Amino acid sequence: MRWMLAGLVAMCLPVMGWTGERTTLIRQIVDQEVLPGFAALSRSGARMAGWAELSCEHPDFRYNYVAAFSAWARVSHLRFGPSEEDNLAFALAFWPDPRGQTPKSLRKLLATSDTDLLSPDKFGEMSVAARGFYALDLLLFDDTIQSAGMAEYHCALVQAVTRDIATTAQQLDDRWSAFAPNLTDPAPDGVYRTEDEVLRELFKAASAGLQFSAELRLGRPLGTFENPRPKRAEAWRSRLSLHLLTEAVRGSGTLALRLSAGDAALSARLDRKLRRFEARAAELDDPVFAGVSAPQSRIRIEALREDLEAIRRIVDQELGPHLGVSAGFNALDGD
Amino acid sequence: MPSRRMFLAGLLASGVAPRASWADAGSPAYLSAARLPSGAYALFGLNAGGQVVFEIPLPGRGHAAAAHPSQPLAVAFARRPGRFALVINCADGTVKTRLDAPPGFHFYGHGTFTADGSVLCTSENDFNNARGMIGLWDVRNGFARLGAIPSGGIGPHELRLMPDGETLVVANGGIETHPDAGRQKLNLPEMRPNLSYVSLDGATLDQHQPPPEWHQNSIRHLALRKDGLVAIACQWQGNPTDTPPLLATHRRGQNLAFHDPGTDIWRDMQGYLGSVSFSGSGAEIAVTGPRGGVALITDASGQPQRLIEQPDICGAAPGASGFVFTTGQGLVLEDAGTSRQMASEWVAWDNHLVSVA
Repeated sequence: MRWMLAGLVAMCLPVMGWTGERTTLIRQIVDQEVLPGFAALSRSGARMAGWAELSCEHPDFRYNYVAAFSAWARVSHLRFGPSEEDNLAFALAFWPDPRGQTPKSLRKLLATSDTDLLSPDKFGEMSVAARGFYALDLLLFDDTIQSAGMAEYHCALVQAVTRDIATTAQQLDDRWSAFAPNLTDPAPDGVYRTEDEVLRELFKAASAGLQFSAELRLGRPLGTFENPRPKRAEAWRSRLSLHLLTEAVRGSGTLALRLSAGDAALSARLDRKLRRFEARAAELDDPVFAGVSAPQSRIRIEALREDLEAIRRIVDQELGPHLGVSAGFNALDGD
Repeated sequence: MPSRRMFLAGLLASGVAPRASWADAGSPAYLSAARLPSGAYALFGLNAGGQVVFEIPLPGRGHAAAAHPSQPLAVAFARRPGRFALVINCADGTVKTRLDAPPGFHFYGHGTFTADGSVLCTSENDFNNARGMIGLWDVRNGFARLGAIPSGGIGPHELRLMPDGETLVVANGGIETHPDAGRQKLNLPEMRPNLSYVSLDGATLDQHQPPPEWHQNSIRHLALRKDGLVAIACQWQGNPTDTPPLLATHRRGQNLAFHDPGTDIWRDMQGYLGSVSFSGSGAEIAVTGPRGGVALITDASGQPQRLIEQPDICGAAPGASGFVFTTGQGLVLEDAGTSRQMASEWVAWDNHLVSVA
């Protein structure tokens, strides 16, 4: 029957190299990037929650908060598979939040002082806006929210959020370990049917991660020349904006670089652009992009964005075709 | 002061005095936006044979267009989250007027005229309230804004006027976005798409959601048959391995009927449909999957008939009896049981192929 036959025709992609190379490449990415990334997230999450349990004011809690948030930024581009199950990624990272749902839900919680809501079971069912790193950032660093409510309840809420982050991070770690064979051993009845499908997923993650960093982590505070929006930077209250951007670009950039294996010239060019971005970020003495509001300092942040755009161009226009990932006009539109 | 309902009724009754007609624009059967090899964008008119009859430059990438039922006017919407739309006189290529979304609103990229052409209805985002709206524009009064009515959900996308001439059927995709966050999806965990029937005076008459386990099946595009049967094309936002049926049909007073051909077709399409259309005869439905490079044709009850494999296939509209499709690689195809290339242009046809009445 024609219908059945047509259904069997595979979506074929031109591919790089021979099968063995791709098998090795995928295995390396999984073993050296994906799994260690989520393991680091769950380790640092547990450590952070442990210190918070001791004291909400403990300096090691703050230190491990930065470590855990950074570990998240490093894997934040891997928005597929387990990260999309049960909204686990959203539970860690509800941002951007243009309608201010996170501060709203935190204020509401702080006003109730209802400790029942803070039990792990109850808290895990709460709206994602009140959970995760961005909620914690407000609780710890927002001028009004850090002192809102009764001090004791405030600390209990901080502990509930950190516990919840640790639990979610642990779940991600476990589920990614269990999910890994789908990536390394694609099968006709598996999540991915071919290595091409796996590579396409990984490519999409790298590309979308870079886009998120350019358009949101950098684009939100930049706004327009006439209307810069420094207070829209990610985690500006804890002064982590530039740091998280750097970590995120390192995460998605490293993945892109690995995917370019097999084309030495392309790898070299991408590597150069990634290094330039890192160097420029390291030189930028402006952790929260406050400089977007003044022309002289804005120019340096715009240069950083241009470096990131240069990386994105290579990834979308050269890496995509190198992997044989079709970049159709309508296929990419998403509307 | 007359109520809005009376005011609208008056508009509908009085009609529009025809000046120019579509014949003055070369009698196009279809409109489509496209990207030119230079990277510029243009709005094209195509005749029933798929040949270009006009080409009008656009300032940027568009989404869909809306064709006035009698006058040669096309409304070209900027791509989401666009703040403006252009009303283009297709007879001479001039911009007749520019529609600006009111402060706090942006367009979603689709619109439709009332049957007599007196009111343009546009899907919009009231983004600070995360509320879908339908903007109403007074065609005879230079497209002045009449107001807006709730769309019945979040993220209204494609909409059509029902055969009764006074009810809109709206695909509320359920996805919250905000221009400050670009095209980022803000509420996937809680999204609730629906199909809504709303009257032009703002009452929600009837509403249907996918079952709870498919709450991430975004209802985006729809097509309407003369007898009121609605065909619906979805985009799955959940786990790719759990992709539910993406094609549904609906008739008012009944439940949403999802249609599953029982193969891997939805996965092959990567959970993403671009357009939906009834055939010219009304006997068949086509949905296009640009990500999978395939279109699925079913009968009107959702039984699979055949597939068309064509890279980046997306635009779909009724043909003489079957369908006309466009692709991002410049092809215009006709299908009435078998497929045939009608034309090939050096352009990338954009998402939607819009019929001119």
